[in-house]
Amino acid sequence: MFNLAILKDTVAIHPSNFGLPPEQALVAELNKKYANRVLHDVGLCISVFDLSEVGEGKVRYGDGFLWYKTVFRMVIFRPFTSEVILGKVKSSDESSVRVSLGFFDDIYIPAIYLPQPSCFDPNERAHFWIPESEFTKPHELLDTPIVGRMYIDTGEVIRIRVEADEFYDDEPGPPKALDGVAVEKEVRRAPYSVIASVAEQGLGPVSWWNGTGAEDAAMEED
Amino acid sequence: MEVINARSALLSNFEVLELLRELESDHLARTKTEIRVKKEEEVSGISSIAKHPATIEITENVRTIQVEAIQHLSAEYQPTSSQTSTGITQLVKDLASYDLTKAEKLQIVNLAPMQPVELYVSAFRYHEQIVEELEDRLGESMETVLSTVSASLSAAPSHPTDASSPTHLLPISSTDTMADLSVQYPSEDFDDAAIVDDMIFEDEGQGVGVEGDLDKEED
Repeated sequence: MFNLAILKDTVAIHPSNFGLPPEQALVAELNKKYANRVLHDVGLCISVFDLSEVGEGKVRYGDGFLWYKTVFRMVIFRPFTSEVILGKVKSSDESSVRVSLGFFDDIYIPAIYLPQPSCFDPNERAHFWIPESEFTKPHELLDTPIVGRMYIDTGEVIRIRVEADEFYDDEPGPPKALDGVAVEKEVRRAPYSVIASVAEQGLGPVSWWNGTGAEDAAMEED
Repeated sequence: MEVINARSALLSNFEVLELLRELESDHLARTKTEIRVKKEEEVSGISSIAKHPATIEITENVRTIQVEAIQHLSAEYQPTSSQTSTGITQLVKDLASYDLTKAEKLQIVNLAPMQPVELYVSAFRYHEQIVEELEDRLGESMETVLSTVSASLSAAPSHPTDASSPTHLLPISSTDTMADLSVQYPSEDFDDAAIVDDMIFEDEGQGVGVEGDLDKEED
């Protein structure tokens, strides 16, 4: 789930922090800048791991800050393709199930990546799976008895396999004004989102596979 | 700002959890000291213009990510809180005898599968035409792998309590374990810093040659 990235940046330390050992002050400044933010094509930055190289602090003309050129390693969250992780189901809608890891929420399981045959039940607002069913049409699946359905409920711990991730870099443009009235900002897309799948043996809510092993051992994988 | 290497090494959940817990306990210790110093000053009536040693301000984003990541990693459904660094080193040494890639070993460490189906999920390879079944590769040793995994988990989950935990965490970084937070990875068999197999991952061996000094032994 996590990896290390080597980054290079220039950091300014305010004179009020000159009493601190420079490593502490630098790590604090770097964390302030990067923690819990997404770096494009790198991932979600968690925290600075260590400092690899630090140049001499130099004072620039015009301000009293000490500027340090640093090379450092940062812990990044970026699950690799085909990695299996555990999360909790945050919400479901007709097209996907959304999984959350607490610190990262934008993991989606599109309906095609649910074990087939499955369907969305509008009464429960949840997707369900019927193991070993020949039905394929939604109305047939919705006619099945509720007992035989395996629901993916909100709040359940779920094991998912990462299929792909996407970075979206939106540069804010100048505010548009229409007839003198400022237009509202458009809906923001998440800067980093992950697509995952549960369409295999062993994936899906953990309760489906616990302690039994008799759960659809007959399901063959393609 | 420049990204020199977007993925130079992989980290296990356990290492990240240790790092975050250590940072958090440092932060809590510092906060307690500040509060205590402030109280003493109030009591003795010293004016607050007197010099304070420089304090590090911790911004909200740092604390948010720390708290939430620690919560996620130490949840009961994760095995991370019942792992120890010696346990993991031992587990990885034992796993070395099987034909597993770095990524698969990392997944086994992170997920600690207790059942065959969980192991199957961690180590199932997709590769266009070739789909290798786990049973073919490991055979009966799947059970052995599972028992090795459960042996690596300690009985009681470890929970950090207060400022006394830094003294507990410090020895780990000075001994020869995988969770060494300095640059060197002393464990010979499990090389966290090594590149993962190209067969599994999309990225084409980025960072080849970066791990010159970190790359100990390659299988």
